[in-house]
Amino acid sequence: MRKWILICLTMTFFQQCVNVDDFDVPKGDFEEPQLDGEIVTIASVKGSVAQNTEGIVTFEDTNTYMEGYVISSDEGGNFFEELILQNKPKNPTDGITVLIDENPLFTRFNFGRKVYVKLDGLTATTSNGVIGLGLRDGIRLENIPASLLNEYVIRAEETAKITPLKTAVKDFSEAKENLYIQLDNAQFSQYDVLGENRKTFASGASDEFDGERLLESCASPATAILSTSTFSDFKSLLLPKGNGSLKGVLTRDFYDEYYIVSVNSPADISFDGERCDPLSVSCGKLDQEGEKVLFSEDFERLTRNKLVTGNGWTNFAQAGTNVWETYVATGGNASLGVSARMDASGSGDESSINWLITPGIDLTENPTTRLRFQTSTSFADSSVLEVLVSNDWDGDPETVTNATWQLLNDAYIAKNSDFFGEWPGSGVVDLSCLSGTVHVAFKYTGNGFDNFDGVYEIDNIRITAE
Amino acid sequence: MVDGVTNRALPKVEISIKNTNFKTSTNALGTFQIKGEIPPGNQFLILKKTGFTIVRLPILLENAKEVNIPLIPLETDFTDERQQIATIALGDDDLNNEEDRGDYSISGLLAASKDIFLKAAAYDFSSTFFRPRGLDSRYGNVLINGIKMNKLYDGRPQWGDWGGLNDAQRNRTFTMGLDANDYTFGNLAGTTNINMRASQYQRGGKISYAAASRTYTGRIMATYNSGLGLNGWAYSISLGRRFGKSGYVEGTPYDANSLFIAVEKKIDSAHSLSFSAIYTPNRRGRGTALTQEVIDLKGNDYNPSWGYQDGEMRSSRVRGIKEPILMGNHFWKLSDNIEINTNIAYQFGTIANSRLDNGGTRLVLSSDGQESYLGGARNPLPNYYQNLSSYFLRDKNPSAAGYQLAYTAEQAFLNDGQLDWDALYAANQLSSAQGGNSVYALQEDVVRENRLSGNILLRTKINANINTQSGLKFIRSKSQNFARIRDLLGGTGFLDIDSFAENDISFPGNKAQSNLRNRNRIVGEDDHYKYDYDLDASIISVFGQAQFRYDHWDGFLSGKLGSTSYQRTGNYENGYFPGNRSFGESRRPHFLEYGFKGGLTYKFTGRHVFDFHAGYIAEAPTLRNTFPNARQNNNVTTDISTEKIGSLDASYIYRSPKLKGRLTGYFMQFKQGSDVSFFFTQSMQGIDDGYAFVQEIMTGVNRRNFGLELGVESQIMPTLKLKAAVAIGQNMYINNPNLYYTSDDIDGEVRFGDGMARLQNLHVSGGPERAYQIGFEYSDPDYWCIGATVNYFKNAYLGVSNLRRSAAFAMDGDGQPLNAYDPAFAKVLLKQEKLGGYTLVNIIGGKSWRIGGKYVGFFLLLNNVLDQNYKTGGFESSRIGDYANLKTEKERDRPLFGNRYFLGYGATFYANVYFRF
Repeated sequence: MRKWILICLTMTFFQQCVNVDDFDVPKGDFEEPQLDGEIVTIASVKGSVAQNTEGIVTFEDTNTYMEGYVISSDEGGNFFEELILQNKPKNPTDGITVLIDENPLFTRFNFGRKVYVKLDGLTATTSNGVIGLGLRDGIRLENIPASLLNEYVIRAEETAKITPLKTAVKDFSEAKENLYIQLDNAQFSQYDVLGENRKTFASGASDEFDGERLLESCASPATAILSTSTFSDFKSLLLPKGNGSLKGVLTRDFYDEYYIVSVNSPADISFDGERCDPLSVSCGKLDQEGEKVLFSEDFERLTRNKLVTGNGWTNFAQAGTNVWETYVATGGNASLGVSARMDASGSGDESSINWLITPGIDLTENPTTRLRFQTSTSFADSSVLEVLVSNDWDGDPETVTNATWQLLNDAYIAKNSDFFGEWPGSGVVDLSCLSGTVHVAFKYTGNGFDNFDGVYEIDNIRITAE
Repeated sequence: MVDGVTNRALPKVEISIKNTNFKTSTNALGTFQIKGEIPPGNQFLILKKTGFTIVRLPILLENAKEVNIPLIPLETDFTDERQQIATIALGDDDLNNEEDRGDYSISGLLAASKDIFLKAAAYDFSSTFFRPRGLDSRYGNVLINGIKMNKLYDGRPQWGDWGGLNDAQRNRTFTMGLDANDYTFGNLAGTTNINMRASQYQRGGKISYAAASRTYTGRIMATYNSGLGLNGWAYSISLGRRFGKSGYVEGTPYDANSLFIAVEKKIDSAHSLSFSAIYTPNRRGRGTALTQEVIDLKGNDYNPSWGYQDGEMRSSRVRGIKEPILMGNHFWKLSDNIEINTNIAYQFGTIANSRLDNGGTRLVLSSDGQESYLGGARNPLPNYYQNLSSYFLRDKNPSAAGYQLAYTAEQAFLNDGQLDWDALYAANQLSSAQGGNSVYALQEDVVRENRLSGNILLRTKINANINTQSGLKFIRSKSQNFARIRDLLGGTGFLDIDSFAENDISFPGNKAQSNLRNRNRIVGEDDHYKYDYDLDASIISVFGQAQFRYDHWDGFLSGKLGSTSYQRTGNYENGYFPGNRSFGESRRPHFLEYGFKGGLTYKFTGRHVFDFHAGYIAEAPTLRNTFPNARQNNNVTTDISTEKIGSLDASYIYRSPKLKGRLTGYFMQFKQGSDVSFFFTQSMQGIDDGYAFVQEIMTGVNRRNFGLELGVESQIMPTLKLKAAVAIGQNMYINNPNLYYTSDDIDGEVRFGDGMARLQNLHVSGGPERAYQIGFEYSDPDYWCIGATVNYFKNAYLGVSNLRRSAAFAMDGDGQPLNAYDPAFAKVLLKQEKLGGYTLVNIIGGKSWRIGGKYVGFFLLLNNVLDQNYKTGGFESSRIGDYANLKTEKERDRPLFGNRYFLGYGATFYANVYFRF
């Protein structure tokens, strides 16, 4: 027995402590940083860039720190290797991008976190359309290396509640870049969310790097772009159908051509209200046209590249400089003799809304009226052609937008996915459920973004009755 | 004859007179007699017993005169101690697991061998992962008390299940290759039976303490054996503890306890009943394979898996093993000629491997209720490729800023280069403060196995020349395999979804679900998550064997027949594989196993012996290769079948008092083998963007191993022995196996081109194919010894990427042939890397003293005294598997996804003191 006591004692003695993986949770007491320099505003950094003739400033020996609040989050993957800072939690006036070669950032620089950026050693200039801070690489900015992050971007303890700046698309301006904004009464285009092919945020076949989706406002015809990274965690969610408010960062697209809004999370989009879409009407389709021709247009009476006029047409540009005009083309993308088209691409216009409206047809006299036409596209991109009807328009171009226009959903209109050389027919669209004097309008909508301006062509418009 | 330490009588000591045929052995009282016409004059009496030093006793014999020899004490042998050092390699060095390298060290298996060559392989070649005849350890059987202990998952013995019990495992018998074994049909790499019956230990105790610098830093062991008492009872107990904060490789803590208890009762002369229990809970930190870029910067003891927390090293990759074994054995001697031995063992417990999970997310609903999962972080390990300077210089002409980034990254890696635990905690705490979940967690992949196995063995002696052995064996195993949260690292919960899942519009949020029956579950510590499934295995087999012994030849014939069946049962319904594709029972594949073998030994004279073996075996695939994506679904490998193995070997054995040696030639062919692996790749050519986490399934693998083994030792003086060993082998693929890929991103099975991997004439990876040793052992009569060996190794080949040898290699990203494909340059890119040669010098020495009837000894082993840096193996990365990307890699100064290497230890020591009583 003595032996065993000895053995047991020895074993106990040698039961040396090896802590393989039993560790306490470290304490997270935050120590407010002690800065050894002067604190400056984002505005002063932007001011330095503006004053420089080259538009680029490298800070040296200034002994200054820029303060700001984080308004971007890479938690959802929609921001990557950048922090967007604004000067105040509420009513901000200035914002800036800080480029950092590290991800994730949200695990330290959470939304609303106050930070100080040490300026000495960094360079500020315009980067992808907005003012950014980073390391200088020629005339461009390079990300701050991860290993220097602690030196350059210092956290304060405060995480502020960020109140988004309410604004409207028409009020987008350089001053609001890199601010956390809110758009109210907004919705996605009905063509992206209501049809059979409801779009996702950014997982469409044509989405490269970013998915860009048209945002409409009920208050004004102005549209904006919601841009979502194809690396985001919510890229494959379907766009919400309803109407409501959206919170995100206002910035510029990669090539600095237009404004975009990017959200941190799909929860920042609250589109659960009623949409504000134009009315629509459907009387169904018929097998054949009537024998009585009430209106016919094949444009052969006109020469090429002329404004579409005569024959009762109203050619009205609600927005933009381009208009519906005639054209002739041969080859793989041929016109049907002389045809009409609307092309806003390359116009440089911020917005293009163009109407081509038939003369009025009296439905009381011709209760069996029906419509037929052909359309084609040559890269419609995300521009839209709609066929509308109204029975309360007085025929005055000035009052087009005051009249009640209803979408004629039964008419087939060529899609971007149709081959550009094809001229699909609309089908024979019944108008018999309408009453009064009816005008048919072809309405083109594009806007200043390259991807949202395209070409639509129409021909052989016939309105007939039995 | 008495034990030099205990002064107890020693039975069964072999006694012979040198250069004569006179032989006898001691009886139970330790006495002996040699009678007959022994040539008179000065003779040497040779006294031998396993575990003791050989004694050469000069005696003067006179004609017709009786000589009385007084008490001869036999001292414990250093060789025996040394053997135990080799067995250190068992649980100690085998820290790599299947995800790291496919070849466990085999040294533990060989440690019991008396063969000159195999001793060299066990003691000196093992640190290079040299494998005799190129055989993986799954081709070797490890038995404890006659029961096979190899794991069913991968066929390999798990040394950690009985590590640290060296003193209790002295009684080992090793059967080389296909030679006849009394317990089992065996396998190509041989069979070790560890006899742990209480009655088989000599009475006495031992305490030892070892300090070392390889894996653990300290080891204490205490053992006491009662020996078989007059009342028929015997018991044995052994305790051990191995510990260390860090081994040679940084950040590899070691915390292992060992307990062994055995009791045996000899009921009567016919029956004996024994019970034993083994429990060796251990936790160890692990290293990992490294790229050349990392080795160049951080050296070969670098380990990225640890970081300081609270001033202490903490490893993120820890393996914990807790698998107690309970065993009962019944021995029944029906008559002098018939013995029946019944063995039954039950093993249960867990093996858990930890690693960091950086995919922590939170559920975010859109205003219309659609689910998305925000969060996740990138791999926080410091050697992640985007942290290394090569990443910043990946473009052809890096800008000045690129060089600056590369420099700062390299400095940061050089100056720190360890895991930042505090940052992980801070991230989780921040997330938690905002109501989110853990972004990072420490997870464990756990196997909880219950295994019942047993056998009935019948041994009969038909006549003086013929023995037979036969047996019936069964194994029934059920394991639950799951991931579990070990530590939330300061967070409050972890969302159990697959953060890599790309949601399908038609199936929103579902693909990401680990378990559709419990969607969006938040798990806490110790909860199961990610995957949870059971694997069942049933094996039943019989074997029969007859051994023949005649004056000039011995021989044997053996055969076996068995059935193995497996089944997976999913406990989770995986989002990618809804319904019974993942949930519930899989189909149950059955495999018919069989084998026959024979051997013939022809003794020209006592000095010249020829030995031949031949065998053919059909062996069931492992569980691992049968269910290629067991974590996610019920799939069974297409065209899975038994592996057919043919083996031939022939040896010439020379034995004379001055010189002993063996020369063997062997030839083995393996057909219809299978292999499953998993990796992330960007070269799934023609499948989406090519990026996918895939399972790679290779079947119909044919291989051939052949070569020579030589072991020679010369006793040039009674105290000095010179020895040499040589292994020259070639282990090759001899066909182009079938290859397909599956992934949760891809429907069905992907085959590129003709669906084959062009492996023919490539080497099977493993340790060096060539190993050479010369050395000496000096044993002073004054109880000290010293020995040294010089070992040279070459021709170790890296594991090749099968994807690079598939038709995908010559494809463009769209799956069509690559325009700019240059077959000549492709050949350069696909050349298999060969490692070696390097020289390792090992020194061993020891001394022992007798103090008042007790015995104290000291032992020192110095490995790799020249501190040679060397690579034991490695593998190509399949991350990049296509020509265009590989060419870009080749053009970089340092590749992003270069070959990864396993590194040998530098100079290390092992020192042991022991006390026997």
